[in-house]
Amino acid sequence: MNRPDPRPSPKLFGGDVTEVALPGIGQRYDIGVADGGPLTVVIHHSGRRDLYVIDPQGDEPRAAVTLTDAQARTLGAILGGAYFKPAVVEEIEAVIGDLLIDWVTVEETSPGAGRTIAELEIRRRTRMTVAAILRDRVPLIAPEPTETLLPGDRLVVIGRQEDLTGFRRHVVG
Amino acid sequence: MGDTLVAVGGAFLAAGLLARLGRRVGLPTIPFFMAAGVIFGPNTPGIALVEHPEDLELLAALGLILLLFHLGLEFSVGDLLAGGRRLLGVGAIYLLLNVGGGLAFGAALGWGSREALVVAGAVGISSSAIVTKLLVELRRLANTESRLILGIIVVEDIFLALYLALLQPVLGGAQGASEVAVQFAVAFAFLVGLGAVARWGAGVVGRLITTSDDELLTVCFVGLAILVAGAAEELGVSDAIGAFMIGLVLAESTVAHRIEHLVLPLRDAFAAAFFFAFGLTIDPGDAWSVAGPVGVAMALSIVLNLTAGVIAARLHGFGRVAAANIGFTILGRGEFSLILATLAASAGLDGRIGPFVALYVLLLAVAGPLLTARSRRLARLLPARLFPPAPTRPAVAAPPGPKGTP
Repeated sequence: MNRPDPRPSPKLFGGDVTEVALPGIGQRYDIGVADGGPLTVVIHHSGRRDLYVIDPQGDEPRAAVTLTDAQARTLGAILGGAYFKPAVVEEIEAVIGDLLIDWVTVEETSPGAGRTIAELEIRRRTRMTVAAILRDRVPLIAPEPTETLLPGDRLVVIGRQEDLTGFRRHVVG
Repeated sequence: MGDTLVAVGGAFLAAGLLARLGRRVGLPTIPFFMAAGVIFGPNTPGIALVEHPEDLELLAALGLILLLFHLGLEFSVGDLLAGGRRLLGVGAIYLLLNVGGGLAFGAALGWGSREALVVAGAVGISSSAIVTKLLVELRRLANTESRLILGIIVVEDIFLALYLALLQPVLGGAQGASEVAVQFAVAFAFLVGLGAVARWGAGVVGRLITTSDDELLTVCFVGLAILVAGAAEELGVSDAIGAFMIGLVLAESTVAHRIEHLVLPLRDAFAAAFFFAFGLTIDPGDAWSVAGPVGVAMALSIVLNLTAGVIAARLHGFGRVAAANIGFTILGRGEFSLILATLAASAGLDGRIGPFVALYVLLLAVAGPLLTARSRRLARLLPARLFPPAPTRPAVAAPPGPKGTP
């Protein structure tokens, strides 16, 4: 009763995010996180983002941050680990609905090292797609099938979550 | 030509700079645009940028058209229905209390029955622009009740459109019941006609103006908006309602979002001219003659808004603070009150309406944000027994999630 028409969108976010339309403003997303209160993100039609950290005891938010569209995207990329992968995190995955985006690194010993995408038949055999290769920090977007995977390459792969293990076994080892 | 340009440029700049001062202390822009018109108008000593308000007539009309066009464009049936019956109910209660109270107040003023209808709308309908901006600036968008406030605003917007459409025949100087009835029929047919176009013909109208080029799209939708507004005015329906309806039509087209984006700077500029031009017609010397009624109207609005806030909070199970937040936030009055006052002036109604609405909007525009920012403390003034003795409910969203940690 406390919340008017919360619309959980489990398909998009795995269940702990509530999406509410704010007429004339945009969309509000309440993300259930620690500290007892939700983190709330408001996306304005103008592209502006507001981040609120709610204080469950009080009436005013504990913190509020306003970002432009570009700043928000940068922050999102940083949070997603695109710039820096913390050592404790073995794998970084982003799951959007059924779609999974992951970063994997080709090692010296990887079965895929030194072979081309076509030779590995990645798409047919693993049902995953290599969307980009980060080599010497330079991204190679949508690589050709003739591209050879080198040790040290970071691959941005897209596919279904259940196919990731097969892909790792086949390419990364 | 040069002197006209100086006048127009000076008007924009004066309005902008004065409103900038207001923004510094967190006050809304609309009353300052209007105040700039008063100060730099013919009725006050000092510089008169514009001697004759008619000189800005066209700019002001464009401002009015773009305001209503944008309102129609932003309006979405989905938003209205998403809140469900409860939201519609709360909106209806709000309007019943405030427009109903305004009507009783207007009748008690004894200025006339047509005047009472204008006063009812002017004191009864919140300003979407001021309310929305206030929520953003006070960082209250994450509050649960803010969703409800925005919902009430949507209901008020659609009510305003209907009210404008029905008011015009009454104000339009029609003589006798039959003539009024004919005018009503024309207004109604216009609404239904364009409503049908919005429902079934939006694709066709959209294709007429759709282009990937922003420049051409802007030129086309501006032309369409002004043309339909003018046609509506010719039919005796009022340009405002014509602009609203064509906005509603384009809201259903595929380019709605782009138009929404493109129209904003135009609307902001010309709407400022509209508010400035309204200010030009106001003689501050008249303020004293309407001070009493304005004082009563303000007190009435504060009481009725808080009452509506308490009822809305009760219906949704919110607590005291949320009730005060709702009541004080939707107290904002602005563009719609001034639009109604403009209609009254052009219909030749009682001359006291202009100064009355001007002073009312000015005072509420200052009082509203100040009260809203302190709504948490002011909430203690609401009797606690109005709220169920349930454990204190937070005014902000509880952790959501279907798994449920209430």
